[in-house]
Amino acid sequence: MKKWLTTISTVTLAGSLLAGCGGNEKAGSGTEASGDQPAGKEVTIKIMNFKVEVAEQFNRLKDEYEKTHPGVKLQVDTVLGGDDYNTQLKARFASGEMPDIFNNEGYNQMDAWLEYLEDLSDQPWVQNEIDLAKEPTTRDGKVYGMPVGLEGLGFLYNKDLFEQAGITELPKTLSQLEAVAEKLQAAGIQPFVNTYDTWFGLGFHNLNNAFAKQPDPNAFIKGLNDGTAKISDNVIFKDWTHLFDVAIKYGNKNALTTDYNTASTLFATGKGAMNQSGNWLQPVLDKLNPGMNVGILPMPINDDPALNDKLFVGPSNNWVVYKDSPVKKEAKEFLNWLVSSETGQKYLTKEFKFIPAFTNIKTDPADLGSIGADVLKYIEEGKVLGWHWAKYPDGAAPEFGSSMQKYIVGKINAVQMLGEFQSAWDKMKSR
Amino acid sequence: MKERTYGMKWFSVEIVVLLLALLFLAPFYFVLANSFKGFAELLSDTSGLPKSLDWSNYERAWEVLNFPRALRNSLLITVFSDLCIIVVSSMAAYRLLRHPTRINRLLFPLFVAAMVVPFQAVMIPLVKVGNWLHILNSIPGIILCYTGLGASFSIFLYHGFMKSIPLEVEEAAVMDGCNPYGIFWRIVFPLLKPMTVTVIVLQSLWMWNDFLLPLLILQKPELQTIQLATNSLFGQYLKQWDLALAALVMGIVPILAFFLALQKHVIQGITAGAVKG
Amino acid sequence: MRRWLTSQTMQQSVFVGPALLVYAAIMVLPLLLGIYYSFSDWNGVSSHIDWVGLKNYKTIFTDDPGFGRSFWFTARFTVSVVIISNAIGFAIAYVLSKPLKTRNMLRTVFFMPNVLGGLLLGFIWQFIFTRSFSAIGQATDIGFFNLSWLGTEATAFWALVIVSVWQGAGYLMVIYIAGLTNVPSDMLEAASIDGATGMQTLRHIVLPLIMPAVTICLFLSISWAFKSFDLNFSLTQGGPYKSTESVAMNIYYEAFKSNRYGLGTAKAVIFFVVVTVITMIQLSMTKKKEVEM
Repeated sequence: MKKWLTTISTVTLAGSLLAGCGGNEKAGSGTEASGDQPAGKEVTIKIMNFKVEVAEQFNRLKDEYEKTHPGVKLQVDTVLGGDDYNTQLKARFASGEMPDIFNNEGYNQMDAWLEYLEDLSDQPWVQNEIDLAKEPTTRDGKVYGMPVGLEGLGFLYNKDLFEQAGITELPKTLSQLEAVAEKLQAAGIQPFVNTYDTWFGLGFHNLNNAFAKQPDPNAFIKGLNDGTAKISDNVIFKDWTHLFDVAIKYGNKNALTTDYNTASTLFATGKGAMNQSGNWLQPVLDKLNPGMNVGILPMPINDDPALNDKLFVGPSNNWVVYKDSPVKKEAKEFLNWLVSSETGQKYLTKEFKFIPAFTNIKTDPADLGSIGADVLKYIEEGKVLGWHWAKYPDGAAPEFGSSMQKYIVGKINAVQMLGEFQSAWDKMKSR
Repeated sequence: MKERTYGMKWFSVEIVVLLLALLFLAPFYFVLANSFKGFAELLSDTSGLPKSLDWSNYERAWEVLNFPRALRNSLLITVFSDLCIIVVSSMAAYRLLRHPTRINRLLFPLFVAAMVVPFQAVMIPLVKVGNWLHILNSIPGIILCYTGLGASFSIFLYHGFMKSIPLEVEEAAVMDGCNPYGIFWRIVFPLLKPMTVTVIVLQSLWMWNDFLLPLLILQKPELQTIQLATNSLFGQYLKQWDLALAALVMGIVPILAFFLALQKHVIQGITAGAVKG
Repeated sequence: MRRWLTSQTMQQSVFVGPALLVYAAIMVLPLLLGIYYSFSDWNGVSSHIDWVGLKNYKTIFTDDPGFGRSFWFTARFTVSVVIISNAIGFAIAYVLSKPLKTRNMLRTVFFMPNVLGGLLLGFIWQFIFTRSFSAIGQATDIGFFNLSWLGTEATAFWALVIVSVWQGAGYLMVIYIAGLTNVPSDMLEAASIDGATGMQTLRHIVLPLIMPAVTICLFLSISWAFKSFDLNFSLTQGGPYKSTESVAMNIYYEAFKSNRYGLGTAKAVIFFVVVTVITMIQLSMTKKKEVEM
């Protein structure tokens, strides 16, 4: 003990006069390390990838790209997903270490970054991009982002359980869905696994249904913003509450505390037949129950089959290019290669398992997993509606979510819930 | 205190405290037990014992996270930040307490006030300042940050503790011809031992588990700490809890061992009697 | 040594200088920068920063019920956590300063929650609240375990308090033990010879002597509870119905999610002022009760 303390004291004693400047001295060495400027002809494209799930595959892609493109090096940082990604992106920006290619969700998340984004309108892939994917990153007719891939949202369903309950035809209307739920329940199967514990599952994914099924969603949202449209007396919203009722009625107990992990587990292990989710759940299901027989259904709100037999599809995220990047030419070349070359396409579909947002990419449904294959079919048949939650005023979705939670526990009725949506929208749009 | 006081009364107290301790330990059971389970078993049977003692999560986490590298970074950061914090703040606290000039009486609350600053409020400006000072993306840089962020808490702790150290000892040393620096390092600092150990333990835990600061300062993969590396197991939709829990256990072991080792010194400090008057 | 080396100015620079330097660079400068941004409409990345004067502050006070709600939650949370964790922390420290046979092991055990940190802590407790509790509830039929712990406002609040106390009590215990070390044993023996009961000794001898530790512990628990972020973030995500969103979370969301950095820092400034005032009051109150040894 004595010895240990004496050692520390000696070290600190010696360092006591240096402690103030020691830090600065060390700090100086940090500068050298950070300056990796492109020397000669060799350039490095810094990519900040947010899909942690494909980190390994991305590194293999990097190797292949560097082999076929001498003089170009890729530096792929797959750091973190979700909120942490944006936080670190801001930190890198503040430190002057911006990546050349990074991710952006589009819509109002793009507003903050817009002045730093390269206009990609003249890129060859733009003409092949499907319209649905363009909206989030298009501003004043200019395209700023390249969609990473498409994702489809609906009710995932367990095909084996459906068969077990004797369901032969998939539901396309609300009545049919309710009949299916009754059949499942009669067969002793929990029809829905609901996870209502977070506001985004409710406010974003669930409520999107009512916005997407408006005759013209963008006009409706514009109407809400200028006061000419109202949620509280909207027919589609009223219809949507009926679907919400069915899901709650035939759902699990304690849905309010069933979190994403629990719900996924219940669904994967056959403790419930349907779960509101999307093809992004595939890797989770693959881990929980490999080879699970699963597909995706639309979410009908009334008995109009033409309106309801559609999935909600949107781009999961977008690649954007930093405008002041010294290697932006090479960065754009890389993005183009990713969606136009055979190798790039192979990685997108076979390795990353993304549903491509480009018409020129042929995808083998078998590569995508069974949910992705279903989503792809809906996309090819054009039976898709969009994602609109990013167009809500900031802060409205959590309010929607909490109103829906109150409705679930019976604190308020449907009329009150729609009324709360309306006042949340009005309150948030003004800010 | 004499052993004679140990009787039925203390025995029953001990039982109660032991039960409470079990309650405190329960969450560790979940971490440890689940770190041996496969992903599916972990989510479907959370509270049960693992079916078998399967080390594959550990092996994979070790590899996937480049654990030795992360461990080295975390160790370097924690040890050297501790050192800097102790030197810088014990000296400052000593001076602030023993020379209560007008400036020093103003400085102490200023230092302490920083403890209530929510980190979220300074994080982006901190990166800007870090950029000016050229301390980003370097381990010495983050050590400097931790010293700055940890200094106020440690000064606060030392300042409170030093009050119980009698002035007479120092006065005697002055008579013996010690200069002020010698007095501090040879006489006062050894007396601060219990608090130094406390400061080391508390600051180490904070830095070891800290996530936001390394996230902001250490942007290069080769500088990743254990916390940063573990977080790369959480994708947007797939959170690999099987590997994360194994990584968590591996991250706990060093800091726990460290605490257990220092705990002895705390007790020694107690038995030696920090105050002899 | 030469005289200039021991001059008061030199001493002041050597002892306080290094701390002041890093502190100024790492804390003060960013904080001032943050205050500067709070008068702007900066979004966190833009190159255009418009000076908006006190508009952000006006918005907070007139048009931001979310901030007020998170403040009210944080205040209630802080009071509960401070009282309970200090009571338990001190009780454990006091008992463990007695000659119990297992005290060394127990000290370690009670401190151990502090080695778990960050987001995983929330995950583990989520498991405990949602799965383990209901498993125990089904087996024993005790109402306590059959509550939907994270599903209702009241229980989610107490869930956060429970976890915070679980983690904080051991930390405070260490400081209380360090404080109890300073209580000379001859004083305690003298008291017991004089026939003082355990409670009397505790109140009239021990407590006054460990006031420095009490000051520290109160201060620490207040500032932690006020700044609570990680746990709310990972255990309840601020739910249900945003009822457990702490001020730090509200600030973080405002600045980084809604890209209103100026407004977020304005909130942080207000928050900082409030917490400073509260802790200063606490410090001056408990410091008065400290006795010089």
